[in-house]
Amino acid sequence: MRKAIIYKEWIKVRLFTPLAVSVLAGFTAYALLRIGRMYAFNGAGSVWLAVLDRNAVLIDNLKYLPALLGLLLGLVQFVPEMQQNRLKLTLHLPFLQSRMLLWMLGCGLALLAVLFIAQAAAIWICLRWLLAPELVARILMTALPWYAAGVLLYLFTAWIAVEPTWRRRLFDALVAAGVMRLLFMSDYPRTYDTLLPWIALLAACALFFPIYSADRFRRGCQD
Amino acid sequence: MSDPVIECRNLSHHYGERLIYENLSFEVPRGRVLGLLGKNGTGKTTTINILGGYLEPSAGQCLIFGEEIRSMRPETRTRIALLIEGHVQYAFMTIEEIERFYARFYPRWNRDAYYGLMEKLKVAPRQRISRMSCGQRSQVALGLILAQNADLLVLDDFSMGLDPGYRRLFVEYLRDYARSEEKTIFLTSHIIQDMEKLVDDCIVMDYGHILVQMPVGELLETFRRYTFTPGGAQIPEIPEFYSTAVVGAQAELYSFESPATVQGVLERAGVPCGDLQAETLNLEDAFIGLTGKY
Repeated sequence: MRKAIIYKEWIKVRLFTPLAVSVLAGFTAYALLRIGRMYAFNGAGSVWLAVLDRNAVLIDNLKYLPALLGLLLGLVQFVPEMQQNRLKLTLHLPFLQSRMLLWMLGCGLALLAVLFIAQAAAIWICLRWLLAPELVARILMTALPWYAAGVLLYLFTAWIAVEPTWRRRLFDALVAAGVMRLLFMSDYPRTYDTLLPWIALLAACALFFPIYSADRFRRGCQD
Repeated sequence: MSDPVIECRNLSHHYGERLIYENLSFEVPRGRVLGLLGKNGTGKTTTINILGGYLEPSAGQCLIFGEEIRSMRPETRTRIALLIEGHVQYAFMTIEEIERFYARFYPRWNRDAYYGLMEKLKVAPRQRISRMSCGQRSQVALGLILAQNADLLVLDDFSMGLDPGYRRLFVEYLRDYARSEEKTIFLTSHIIQDMEKLVDDCIVMDYGHILVQMPVGELLETFRRYTFTPGGAQIPEIPEFYSTAVVGAQAELYSFESPATVQGVLERAGVPCGDLQAETLNLEDAFIGLTGKY
């Protein structure tokens, strides 16, 4: 049955996945080429100076990409479930309903994890040629909340999509917008380091938000 | 009577202030095909949603196979096939994909039953369900239900959007399947002619309550339309008479009472009815007689 759940989720995301890979690869390549060009034209010193003195993150044009992918993946996976109330079919399947939702979310999170880890690995490998490992680690640690935003926005999108009432959806969307605002408030490197455990805790809690929405759907909540 | 497959006791439901029904109780015995009939807004889909576990009734309880629906074990859910209004399915899948998906959930899955019906569709196995006509989608939904080999089929407005050919195909398949395999079916439809060919028992709902629950054969045998010329006399309004109306010189009423009883009641009320005519009805006319035209 788990294989069947994964199979269905794969069918939903099979067009999205190559698109997401292309967009992610394209933007990442562009960001890395830009750094490479800076290096070639201005010399290593200027790049190091930008990172150390001016607190440049160098890959800041990738900032919103994980959130965008999280949003799109959430829509791709959960909007088809809510069209014509197809979630009824899913919840009728002989599988524990909360576990079913967790498996569906798990599929999405696994795909996001692969995409984000691949991007972070590409950045690490390429920047290691140009910068000291401490500086590359600093850049990636600065990017960590962006990835967290991707995961959170994915879970929030599922939460909002599965929610059966528009009034509540609006409330959920406001909460999601508030959290996103918080995560993108500062551009200063490693500002969020101390908040990362709390962000992780929030993501763990947000995993259960769509289950709550599905329960409201089952109870027949309406506007 | 054998064990009931569905037992609903004292169901009440409101949408906000609006009462849908109160203290609705009914049972569906094993091996019977029961049709739920009612005008729009009488609570048919509400009842199906309660039976599907997608709506918590304001009060009352519904059991299927002796289990409370909302806390039903997944193993019990394998015994229930559900058709959602509009033949909704995973339209982003193809015929093959959807079969492969469902097959893993149901231990008694009958692949041949599904593909047997799909052969009639003349669509490519890799065609997406979303690109099929409404009739073709209905056959996919039906094929999945037949393949599931469930003990109970719950079908919400199964004839919605289907042309006469597909409706007939759906009804005939379902009827043969239910009879040969002793399945229990609970269904609703707006097309009452289809119900007549399919259902053993019917529940006719009015706003807020059940008007009748009985075998269709008994309903058609005992419920009659009476016409007569009342000559301007006032026809008595009694619970035994349904949908009484006078059009021109002709009066019409419906009743479960025998012609002799109806004649007696009318004569005692001083209504001339020497030309009283009684006629038996088909299910659609009986439904109109019970619920009224408007």
